[in-house]
Amino acid sequence: MTRVRLTRISVVVFCVVALCMSVTGGKASAQNATSSPEPIYNPYPPGILPSDLPSELARVLREVDSVEAEAITQWHAIPPPVVTGNPPILQNTGVPLVEILGKLMNYDRTISPNENRACASCHMPYAGFSGPIPSVNLTMIAYPASAPYRAGKRTAQRYTYSSYFPPLQYNATQGLFFGGNFWDSRATGYLTRAPDGEQSQFPPVDPNEMANPDTACVTYKLSLAPYRSLFEEIYGAGSFAITWPANVASICATPGGAAEFGGSATPVDLSPGDRTVSDNDYLHWAQSMSAFEHSLSVSPFTSKFDAFLAGKYKLTANESAGYDLFKGKGNCNSCHLDGRSTAPAPTAPTAVDTGVAADVTPVFTCFGSANLGLPKNPRDSFYYETSPDFLGFTPNPAGFTYTDLGLGTFLRSGYGSSGNPNSSWTQFAPTSDGQMQTSTVRDVAMVPPQCPTTEAPGPYFQKEFFHNGYIKSLKQLVHFYNTRDVYRMEVESGECPAGTVEKVNCWPAAEVPQNQDMTVGNLGLTDLEENQIVKFMETLTDGFTAPFPDINTYTGTCMSGGNASTQGNSTIISAVKLRELMKQH
Amino acid sequence: MNKVHVKLLMMAAVGSLLFSNSIVAQDSAYSPKILPPAPRAVRVRIMQGPELELANDKSAIIRWTSSNPGGTDEHFGVVHYGTKPMELSDTAKSHIRLNQNHSYTVFRVRVEGLSPQTTYYYTVDSMGANGTSDGVRSPIKHFSTR
Repeated sequence: MTRVRLTRISVVVFCVVALCMSVTGGKASAQNATSSPEPIYNPYPPGILPSDLPSELARVLREVDSVEAEAITQWHAIPPPVVTGNPPILQNTGVPLVEILGKLMNYDRTISPNENRACASCHMPYAGFSGPIPSVNLTMIAYPASAPYRAGKRTAQRYTYSSYFPPLQYNATQGLFFGGNFWDSRATGYLTRAPDGEQSQFPPVDPNEMANPDTACVTYKLSLAPYRSLFEEIYGAGSFAITWPANVASICATPGGAAEFGGSATPVDLSPGDRTVSDNDYLHWAQSMSAFEHSLSVSPFTSKFDAFLAGKYKLTANESAGYDLFKGKGNCNSCHLDGRSTAPAPTAPTAVDTGVAADVTPVFTCFGSANLGLPKNPRDSFYYETSPDFLGFTPNPAGFTYTDLGLGTFLRSGYGSSGNPNSSWTQFAPTSDGQMQTSTVRDVAMVPPQCPTTEAPGPYFQKEFFHNGYIKSLKQLVHFYNTRDVYRMEVESGECPAGTVEKVNCWPAAEVPQNQDMTVGNLGLTDLEENQIVKFMETLTDGFTAPFPDINTYTGTCMSGGNASTQGNSTIISAVKLRELMKQH
Repeated sequence: MNKVHVKLLMMAAVGSLLFSNSIVAQDSAYSPKILPPAPRAVRVRIMQGPELELANDKSAIIRWTSSNPGGTDEHFGVVHYGTKPMELSDTAKSHIRLNQNHSYTVFRVRVEGLSPQTTYYYTVDSMGANGTSDGVRSPIKHFSTR
């Protein structure tokens, strides 16, 4: 047999074997972009997953792909930089290049093992870069992972203004934590110096989200990306000078948490030098993401309120009344700082704001955390993921007993959070239990233009609010702050007594009853005053003084009907019933 | 049109695309807008209450309004309570966030672990994050659980 013929036969044999392995081993090929070959993980009782989930996930993928294509075009329209000086600077176009790289990575679904989840899959611009699937927002809350249908436990936060949170610090004078990203502040920014950059490093390797088994898989996927040259242009020609092991593609096509990885975070076998190159590339991933999130594509200060501060917009009667309540009787601006200075000698009676506008770009947060005493949301997908998936990964062995202590969990480096890099902070865990980040109010009301509100009867776009998505409308949100303690009952969701309506005159028990913030809970606001505060919150939506980039990318439908006070109540399932269903399942 | 003109035009086009608003005078991402605590008030006076906001068989919420005590934004309302007016040996405290722009502050404290159909006597105080009392002079009041 000739050498050539032997080689050809070997190649054929090798390909056949590889093909067989890829089919039986269930590993996704690079061409298999829209379905995962693994069995679907579905530990959920009936009614937890929304019925339109597959078609909605496909819709979001199409939207993600279209924005990625746009980003490629935008990238190619940027002139190359002139590299000058020492240290070398990308003169003229360094800033837009770093920002567009962030956008290109944000919308790249090939980063995930099954090539079906980009960061943007859970953070689309028309929702202020938060969760883009109305039916998920109504039901399971957390978004399905690259390995469907694993899912996490919390809502996907808005990107907007997340870059304004400083690195997590404990301020001894104020006796408070400030900064960090994530609901539990665990993206401290201690290495990246940009907490929003550090945040972007978590989902790609979270087994319940994009689910890469190793951060080196992100580097590997970047090395194959059409924008690889851009990464090298910014961060160095040697960015991908890495000797990959032969099995890198198959490892990186296997979702993280799989038993075969034995708990290792680095199953891709790299030399120490190559591992460092890859780690540095992941730091650059974070830097560029932060640049994108800080840019005018995400955090532009183009709302009606910004126009009002500049003297270019007159608030309507309801918006103005809402603003007066926001800084007065509602006391919202005690935590959601609106940039007003303190008056030197307050003399006004009652809770009347006596400050003057001092900050022209207020971010509407104190950058800290609070326990608002929200009820547990038994619909949250996390409680049902108590059995292993086919890879041997169990997202939540604790089931219903899992309690989300937020910042407290993180300070203890607890399950469901990550390592706390500062042991001097751990002492504050007990008083931090239940505390979740004080979100910016900006863009809480951002929706696709064709569904112009978050509020039923609409037509509206259904969003999810707070860390566990229990609240389904801004009206309910304000009503919760206003009446939490007036209507609090020691029942679970779905068990409000006859004659009461959940979220109207019955609030189930707090998930974390200790450390509750008592600034809220009984504000004495009328129904009209609640509605006026909602109107004011809506003035904080970007896209008024200039279009919000990519706002027009929603291709789904709007919902209509019902009313904002009971929005989402039709999907409440009693916690008692859900636990019974789990036992039978 | 020569190469320089083309380049300038392209840069302008890119500039308008990516810098679509004027560059707003934004704070850097890395300069935190953390307000320092307001100066502490010389004297803190109760303007309204303290009174029972609501009670059930095992817990109660006590509420009062005082002048803004200043000090740390992180503040606590404090209730000293007991079943005998001269023995207020138990303490409850709850988080309140001060609003530096308000002259008055509403304090609300959750008191828990109580017995049903029992009368409790109490006084109130407030304190900053470091535990320093605001020195509130409170009358002794009482409430009953259901």
